[in-house]
Amino acid sequence: MKLIACTEGHSSKIEAFSLEMIAAARSLAQAGDEVVAFFAGRDTEGASASFGAADRLIVARATKSDVIPAETYALLLRDVITAESPGLVLVPYSANGLDVAADIAARTGWPLVSYVNEIKRHGESLTIVAQMYGGKILAECEVQLPAILMINPGAFAEAPPGAITAVSVQTIDADPALTSGKVKMVAIDVPDYADVDLTTAERIVCVGRGIGDEASIDLARNLATMLGAEIAGSRPVVDNGWLPKLRQVGKSGQKVKPKLYLALGVSGAPEHLEGMSQADLIIAVNTDPKAPIFNVAHYGATCDLFDLVANLSDRLRAGSGR
Amino acid sequence: MNILVVLRMIPDSAGELQLAEDGRSIDREWLDFQLNDFDDHALEEAILLKEAGGAKVTAVAVGEGANRVLQMAAARGADEVVALQSEEDAMISSREIAASIAAMARAKSADLVLCGVQSSEDVFGQLAPYVGALLDWPHVSGTNRIVANGAVLRVTQERGAGVAVTYELATPAVLGVQTASKAPRYVSGSKLREASKTPIGRATPESSGFERSAEIITLRLPVQGGSGENLGGNAETVADRLVSILAAKGLARN
Ligand SMILES: Cc1cc2nc3c(=O)[nH]c(=O)nc-3n(C[C@H](O)[C@H](O)[C@H](O)COP(=O)(O)OP(=O)(O)OC[C@H]3O[C@@H](n4cnc5c(N)ncnc54)[C@H](O)[C@@H]3O)c2cc1C
Repeated sequence: MKLIACTEGHSSKIEAFSLEMIAAARSLAQAGDEVVAFFAGRDTEGASASFGAADRLIVARATKSDVIPAETYALLLRDVITAESPGLVLVPYSANGLDVAADIAARTGWPLVSYVNEIKRHGESLTIVAQMYGGKILAECEVQLPAILMINPGAFAEAPPGAITAVSVQTIDADPALTSGKVKMVAIDVPDYADVDLTTAERIVCVGRGIGDEASIDLARNLATMLGAEIAGSRPVVDNGWLPKLRQVGKSGQKVKPKLYLALGVSGAPEHLEGMSQADLIIAVNTDPKAPIFNVAHYGATCDLFDLVANLSDRLRAGSGR
Repeated sequence: MNILVVLRMIPDSAGELQLAEDGRSIDREWLDFQLNDFDDHALEEAILLKEAGGAKVTAVAVGEGANRVLQMAAARGADEVVALQSEEDAMISSREIAASIAAMARAKSADLVLCGVQSSEDVFGQLAPYVGALLDWPHVSGTNRIVANGAVLRVTQERGAGVAVTYELATPAVLGVQTASKAPRYVSGSKLREASKTPIGRATPESSGFERSAEIITLRLPVQGGSGENLGGNAETVADRLVSILAAKGLARN
């Protein structure tokens, strides 16, 4: 059986989760199976230099465009699926993967399971553990092959990077599909990280929707100042306009690895954890003892965040006055 | 422009979720049902597009409490509201409802279908790409801005780390909305009362047409806590402990 691991990268950077997809495929391959990595983009050299853990690499090479719209990615992938008849296609849960996985599932008619954390293979069927309800429930699913899985970043350890032998690389020209595609990229906006770069911050105080309103952000900001920390927010906080986008941590925000991450009123949805679960010290404050943030926290407290901020601020203030 | 916006009612997962006796679903009896957050943004984006360039907005809702949310949609500016019948007490699977949404999009001659980018019940895939693929219309998910210029759409999508990519595509199209261009508006009680007279249409579901799918065997709660230490629920003692933990790690002071 062939297993296709979908990979991604842009701006001459291969996404780390690409190596995770290859590792996931590798872990399911049995004797005689073949792990085929699929890459669409400009940095085909990067793909060839990194995806050595796969048996074979198919690259759809774009010469001009840095970002391949998911629509085009799915179209190119569909051709590969038709040509290769794989038993399993692994797609990362990324901005691209969100569109690609269900698109190819609809067009092949194959089953799809999303937000996958664990996979076990029993011959021609799989049992899968996937996350639902923001990580509060795990669903054990069964699926017959061929199938498509959308896999959470971080669920599998990266495959070792290394070069793939040139004979195992097959190149497709992606330019015609990009030119004729129905979805055309017209601009990329990269923010000015000079304003704030959370990825280099050593200490972060992150507020979630539990903070309630914009005015209350100041309480957390004062605490952050006392701790010499940057203030950050979960997605709803940023969507509500209470903090600027560059201060968002998570899947569509920044991936951070500070020495201290104090999470106040953050539930710990998988998309949030993706951005911060590697922090050295995670302290979570949330009134809901079942909040998934506690699954990654080194210290957890179930008190009201406002009471905690007040008490902690008092103590830190008193300490600094001494 | 004809816009169809899909509103899914899902259990409020901020509260405690309990498993049903069959072990394959959650106990829905005492749960509050609320509009999927992302669908709320999809509705807002639909109304913003209507305000910007004129459009007819049809809101279709599925799940427990659909009528209530449709009245809210009417109060916010939806022109027509339709409840799509769903099985009672069942999870709403995108894979299952995609064919119904595609059929409605055709029947209403929709130019644009807007769905929330995802719902927390969607373990078998996202709605927008399913509907887009079934209709063979272009689709983009994770959008946070949509601008229409006649039949041409400019759509901005989040790609992570603050990077945003703008695409151009022509209608008819399907978009999965992450965030509306503006935060969803509130509606006054009087508007809601007025909108409560809006007649609610009914639609019957189409068969999904997929021969095979995955199946949920069991649901379970994740093992709690990891290896972390629980400091308890008393803010004063927690604060004391945190001060000493931070001090011990050299993190207490600026
Ligand atoms: C494609 C995609 C990308 C995404 N990207 C991101 C991302 O980059 N970052 C991100 O964060 N999310 C992201 N999300 C959203 C994510 O799924 C969650 O919706 C979000 O993380 C929830 O934010 P929250 O924890 O602040 O809010 P909620 O889930 O509403 O949680 C609020 C928490 O506060 C607690 N609380 C309330 N009041 C108090 C109090 N007084 N004291 C203590 N605790 C209290 C509650 O118990 C609750 O657990 C993304 C989603 C998608 C689909």
